[in-house]
Amino acid sequence: MSNKITLIELDHSRCEGHGLCEEAAAHLMHLNDEGELIIDVKEVGSKDIDAAREAVRVCPVAALKLVSS
Amino acid sequence: MSTCPPATSNIDIFSDDVLMNTEATFKELREMAAVVYLPNNNTWAITRYEDIRNALSDTTTFSSKSVAFNPQMNQVLAGTSLAADPPEHGKLRAILSDNLSPRALRKMKAPIYEKADELVGELVRRGNFDGMADMAVAFPVSVVLDLIGVRGELREKILPWGEAAFNLLGPMNERAQDSMPVAQELFHWTHEVMRGEDLAEGSIGRNIWEAAERGDISHDSFGYIVHQILAAGMDTTITTIGNALVLLGLNPEQFEELRNDPKQAPAVLTEVLRLRTPAPVFGRLATQDVEVDGTVIPKDSQVALLYGSGNLDPRKFENPEKFDISRNAVDHLGFGYGTHTCAGQGLAKLEIHGLLEAWAKHVKSYRVGEVVQRLNNFTRPYSSIEITDVIPD
Repeated sequence: MSNKITLIELDHSRCEGHGLCEEAAAHLMHLNDEGELIIDVKEVGSKDIDAAREAVRVCPVAALKLVSS
Repeated sequence: MSTCPPATSNIDIFSDDVLMNTEATFKELREMAAVVYLPNNNTWAITRYEDIRNALSDTTTFSSKSVAFNPQMNQVLAGTSLAADPPEHGKLRAILSDNLSPRALRKMKAPIYEKADELVGELVRRGNFDGMADMAVAFPVSVVLDLIGVRGELREKILPWGEAAFNLLGPMNERAQDSMPVAQELFHWTHEVMRGEDLAEGSIGRNIWEAAERGDISHDSFGYIVHQILAAGMDTTITTIGNALVLLGLNPEQFEELRNDPKQAPAVLTEVLRLRTPAPVFGRLATQDVEVDGTVIPKDSQVALLYGSGNLDPRKFENPEKFDISRNAVDHLGFGYGTHTCAGQGLAKLEIHGLLEAWAKHVKSYRVGEVVQRLNNFTRPYSSIEITDVIPD
């Protein structure tokens, strides 16, 4: 049985706080009061993969990635 | 790998005709091929959504060294984030976004919304007004100039400066040549005349000046950044507000939806930007031979990324010519994408969301009368938009 883990990776230097990711996947990440992105769920399960992919896709600055190991 | 000879078209995408008929022209090119060589512009146009997005993601192959369509302007832009590639790009961009990002501007939301509400209230009381001069122009100008800290008579110069700068992003045609003296004035002012002391204390402009005084950035960079904000930060926002007024006016049932739920303002803006992309074409330089959907674009070619065409691509958007605020296609190309995505989009959103919410709250119905467009190599400006019969809520 393969144990593939998918992680959400954030490039902090690119992030500008646009918040489109939070709109796409509010249960996985959010912007705090300082406008910084906090990834609440780093390891993405099968029920969250679509939302995670959408968040990655809509980030205007391409600061998010899904990394599989 | 076998590739086809390139599709070509004699269209000049910066001609008066095309500027007035952008959507129809883009449709023609997009249906022709994913890549069309335009000999009159000596440019390779990429016409479809996915290919444009991929090109924007590949800054190594598609360099911003020729973001403009004439070498003189690319030279002028050489100190800015707009024309830089990674890794130099990062530091230049950071200076802009440290001051302009949604994160940086989060405390500005309340004052900007308040200002919008005041302006809209006043215009609704009038009942008839020019959607451009009285709203679409007046509001962003006042917000941006306050942000930069520009005072006094300089405020009048800002608009013609911005439009001239945009003309010069196109080819050095007659329109661009006519804009040279005006654009040079702006450049001269931001790089040689303007001093930090001229800018209001506490403003972003003053902050950036102080960063230069401290040696965090060069004084040259200060000039470039203010220049970028002033030149890039207004015409596009102005045009988009105009487009929002027109599109909501033409689609009253959707205006009604916005009125019922003013929190739809972001979805409205998203759709306005998709359908009427304010800066629909951007340049790139192919740094190596690159194959796009079967066509090879040769090394050192000027490339045109047709954002406005990608935004109407039926391969990506169903019924693309329909204005539909429920679409909320946040991955439209109106702000570009990736490394160079519009650095001012946070500010543009604050301004336009503020205005749209206020408009939805104060207005029951309105009419759009005469709409007069103007020609610009890069943007699609309006001279005036007659707003009449405003019935307050």
